[in-house]
Amino acid sequence: MPDSTEAAEEPRSDQNPNPSASGFLGAVTAEEGNEWSSFRDDEIMKQHSEIQAVEAVKIPFVGDKEPITALAAEFQYGSPILQEKIKLIAEQYLALRRTRGDGNCFFRSFMFSYLEHILETQDKAEVERIIAHIEMCKKTLKSQGFTDFTFEDFFSTFLEQLESVSQGQDASISHDELLERSRDQSISDYVVMFFRFVTTGEIRSRSEFFEPFILGLTNSSNTVDQFCKTSVEPMGEESDHVHITALSDALGVAIRVVYLDRSSCEAGPVTINHHDFIPSAPSKMSTERDDSTMASTNIITETATVSNPSEQEDGTTATAATTEDSRPPFVTLLYRPGHYDILYPK
Amino acid sequence: MQASRARLFKEYKEVQREKVVDPDIQLVCDDSNIFKWTALIKGPSETPYEGGLFQLAFAIPEHYPLQPPQARFLTKIFHPNVHFKTGEICLDILKTAWSPAWTLQSVCRAIIALMAHPEPDSPLNCDSGNLLRSGDLRGYRSMARMYTRLAAMPKKG
Repeated sequence: MPDSTEAAEEPRSDQNPNPSASGFLGAVTAEEGNEWSSFRDDEIMKQHSEIQAVEAVKIPFVGDKEPITALAAEFQYGSPILQEKIKLIAEQYLALRRTRGDGNCFFRSFMFSYLEHILETQDKAEVERIIAHIEMCKKTLKSQGFTDFTFEDFFSTFLEQLESVSQGQDASISHDELLERSRDQSISDYVVMFFRFVTTGEIRSRSEFFEPFILGLTNSSNTVDQFCKTSVEPMGEESDHVHITALSDALGVAIRVVYLDRSSCEAGPVTINHHDFIPSAPSKMSTERDDSTMASTNIITETATVSNPSEQEDGTTATAATTEDSRPPFVTLLYRPGHYDILYPK
Repeated sequence: MQASRARLFKEYKEVQREKVVDPDIQLVCDDSNIFKWTALIKGPSETPYEGGLFQLAFAIPEHYPLQPPQARFLTKIFHPNVHFKTGEICLDILKTAWSPAWTLQSVCRAIIALMAHPEPDSPLNCDSGNLLRSGDLRGYRSMARMYTRLAAMPKKG
């Protein structure tokens, strides 16, 4: 224990200003200290980017479209149940597009799948609808105390991409160009970050709704804030139900997730599960409904076409079994434990 | 590179505005290089760092704000989460928990918070960490206080 006299002696050992080498505590900890000093921040970051570079060679951020048989080939020595499930997937789905497993795969898959849909359909109404939602998301973030300039660049990057895929059949960028942009880190990562901001805004604004789902995921007391800070806002943090629900609700875009895992294979014939994330009634829009202007009514009607009206009352999502009347979500993702890729229905 | 430059310029403008709001932080951008910043932060009150003025150095990576700034203390400080020789700071938001939602200004605030609430269980300065972990608050405070006086306060006479 250092009393004042011993402490006062410290600065005299000029050659070795590190107190760990100065005796009373040093014996045990000096070595530990040295070990730590050999791992500097910049070296850790360098190591990170080296690992990322190795991954990058294996698969770009967004891969090429592959026939669904590629999945069967990958699992040819895998569990028979999974092989059965792949056969079922092949009955309904035509192709697969892989994304890099860097913790951003859900957002990256959503990005490409959504933009590709807009590029192919030139659905102007959908574009207008999502732009209205994005404006809402901006207001939400501002009201939560986020500084404008911390998120506005990411928002503009996404809006730019949206604009360039919705210029009409001839004026829009080509499919190849979209793929190229999705593989360009400076665009792709910015769009991923845009989705992360949108997601965190939604979770924070409905924290009482999300808290029970988050409760099991962290030990911290200030769960929602902590969860957003550590599991939503940083790049490379993996997504699960909470993220998907929040993003789907915030943007008003339905997402179908097909599960290629060991679920529901206990008894009976093998089936393939899927879950539709249907955006809940846009609560933030309801404040505008009071204005009862035509414009806001239009937005609501538009939302209703992608939402399942029967699910809007309790604000929860449900499986597709009850959604016969609405068209299926146009974003379809394949889930394997820990990873999301894009699926193309027949 | 262009994106990081644009973002840093926005932060620069924000800093000019915030100066009045937060008198505990003085962020300065290098005259010739927007990727190099320094900050002077005031040691938080009711801590052994009170009354001290601590200088931080920031090196901003090319992919900022997707990647965190590198921050370190230039002023010698005795704190469990600051490397005694290099000034490196052990703070999650500077590593895995970094997000573009943070700014240089808010990182400074987080560092001030870390000074007030050391986390001795992940020490970069083991001596300091061990003092706290063994419950020797008096030892920790006197060491930290001494280094504040020696390194972070203007010399008298």
